[in-house]
Amino acid sequence: MSDNTDPVVRTGRREALIVVSIWLTALTWSVTTSYRLGYNHPAESPEEMKLIWGFPEWTFWGVAVPWVVCVIISWIFGVMFVHDAHLGEELPEETDELGLGG
Amino acid sequence: MMKLLPVLLAADDTSKMPSVGYGALIALVVFIFASLWIGALANRKTREGSFMTGFFLGNRGLGAWALALTATVQSGGTFMGFPSLVYTHGWIVALWIGGYVVVPITGFGILGKRLAQLSRRTEAITVPDLFRTRFGSPTLGLVASLFILLYLSFMMFAQFKAGAIVMKTAWPGSGVLAVNEDQKPFALSEQSLTSLKEDKVPDAVIDKLKPLVGHGFSTERDLNSQLKSLLTADELTESKDRIVKRSKQLDRLYLIGLAIFSLTVVAYTLMGGFLAAVWTDMFQSVLMFFGVMVLLFASLHQAGGLDNATRTALKNTGPGYVYGPGYDDKFEGPKATPNAKQAPRMAYDEAVPREFLPLSLALSFFCVWVWSGVGSPASLVRLMASQNTEVIRRSIYLLSVYNLGIYLPLIVICICGRALIPELPGQTDEIIPRMALLSTKEWPGGSLIAGMILAAPFGAVMSTVSSYLVVLSSGLVRDIYQRFIRPQATPGELRKAAYLSMVFVGTVAVAVNINPIAYLQAFIVFSATGSAATFLIPAVMACYWRRATVAGAFASMIGGASTVLSLYLIGIFEKMPEQRIGQLTGFRPYYLCEVDPFLWGVLVSGLCGVTVSLLTTPPDQALLSKMFDKESTT
Repeated sequence: MSDNTDPVVRTGRREALIVVSIWLTALTWSVTTSYRLGYNHPAESPEEMKLIWGFPEWTFWGVAVPWVVCVIISWIFGVMFVHDAHLGEELPEETDELGLGG
Repeated sequence: MMKLLPVLLAADDTSKMPSVGYGALIALVVFIFASLWIGALANRKTREGSFMTGFFLGNRGLGAWALALTATVQSGGTFMGFPSLVYTHGWIVALWIGGYVVVPITGFGILGKRLAQLSRRTEAITVPDLFRTRFGSPTLGLVASLFILLYLSFMMFAQFKAGAIVMKTAWPGSGVLAVNEDQKPFALSEQSLTSLKEDKVPDAVIDKLKPLVGHGFSTERDLNSQLKSLLTADELTESKDRIVKRSKQLDRLYLIGLAIFSLTVVAYTLMGGFLAAVWTDMFQSVLMFFGVMVLLFASLHQAGGLDNATRTALKNTGPGYVYGPGYDDKFEGPKATPNAKQAPRMAYDEAVPREFLPLSLALSFFCVWVWSGVGSPASLVRLMASQNTEVIRRSIYLLSVYNLGIYLPLIVICICGRALIPELPGQTDEIIPRMALLSTKEWPGGSLIAGMILAAPFGAVMSTVSSYLVVLSSGLVRDIYQRFIRPQATPGELRKAAYLSMVFVGTVAVAVNINPIAYLQAFIVFSATGSAATFLIPAVMACYWRRATVAGAFASMIGGASTVLSLYLIGIFEKMPEQRIGQLTGFRPYYLCEVDPFLWGVLVSGLCGVTVSLLTTPPDQALLSKMFDKESTT
């Protein structure tokens, strides 16, 4: 039964799982890093506040860096992992079950 | 349309015309004509195939740019509500939006390919179509289309108001900086105080109202609660009605804006259908990108670099502006008072600061943006229309670059904004227009650039409305008219029905907005999360799970929808103590365990879907084979 499963279903399912794990990783990284560096922070004067390129430290490591990393991952994922596949043809107009042709 | 404009110009009687007013007006007119032109182009392209697939699905020919730049959640709210949040609460909003880092991958990578395949196998034009054929149940299709009609109506009606307001504020006479004073439906001006005097409201009352001048209120209830804190009970009962009446902000310009906006959108969507919606969306996304880039460099230059901007912004506010869980100006910074009074809807622990983004909500939003992007019907339709898998693949990285270029810069711009403009009481929605004005004022042609940036939300709203119009009209025509009323309809009749339904939806939207709905942003949030919680799990089940049954899909839709709806109702009708987290709006949900309703919706939806499917008889093998197995090579 399952041998006959369309390859799109199988690769699609696998790619979906990879994507979900990318999402989970991003979530864990972003939220824990931001929380660790950015929450419950002692009040500081503006002068001694730690900034990286103008970003607060937590934003830099918790949001900006993962964002750039995710762009790269998206590219790798798009180029390397997604299998191109034939999606099937639309039925010719005459055989359209509802007679929408023309 | 063109004939209207000179008349309107003549009707404008104010003499002070800020130069940027023209810039914005010119940009708007360009937008309108570009959209109509795109509509006409799309019209030609649409005629290539059969009417239904052409008009409602662009003959399944979406390319990578079109898919990438239009498939995810971007609406008027993105460019109006989001900047205001950053300006108000500070850097923490970066974490609020943080989920967007993966939105491109999740939005296209999870369902994309399989959904595109499934929609071809089921010959589906609409999302309900897909459910109907995939599960072999017309009733399921009908339920799905009713849900979509409900949610999209909500979202669309809210957008019409936004469109009318942008249109109105771009008007030279209205003066750009009056933008949001007028944006709230209720506000008291000096003039209204004078009129109140004429209404024989006691002077003592009018004196007490003076602090309210210039503040806007989104709802009558907000205004009332403010009045309650200022006036005695007797004064309130005596003059409340007159005060409310005088503070209504509906005027002629708003109605003209509404008319022009609605006519434009309906006209070009009628001409070009789905493709017109997609192409205008793409057009405005590209413009937006350039607008944001220009504004980014201009504001960084003005603020003396980001480092400087962050430090100055912190000086203007307090540490909450840079760190979690976000800045609350009632509790720190120059305006903080020990007994901060902000007319809370329920007296509850007033000494506790409002937390914009506690940890639980940070986690929630990381899920909300991602999964509502995957499950929203408007994104599902785009995927169904994509040309092939290569297009889906390329869209992933196109969109991820685009998002990086929009959201982080918008945050940076607004932080610079807080450094340059320390306070914008009651008008934080104005931050982007104000920054546009401020940072381009010394440039040659600056007013035109500022105008373009001002007009950008208009473009965003217009393209959002037009894509909802297409989905709504396809729902009415395909899922209801053709399925249940007149299955034997000829293509000519379908075309007529499609046009009629669009005009009908447009008319209803205008009618609703003559007396505008408050809570724009909240309506959008409710509908976006509600529709995604309804459709996410059923869509995943349809794509990947053989054992999913009709009953399971039903249970999952209804479970998700009712959970989100109940949590919103509990919040709206104040059945629970006010929670001091999240955005401060009147239309807010109850955050069960401080978690966003969307997550509860998806959880319930998933549980219902899986349990009910397993408890009911497995679906028909022939149907499954048609949906899941290799196509026979005959």
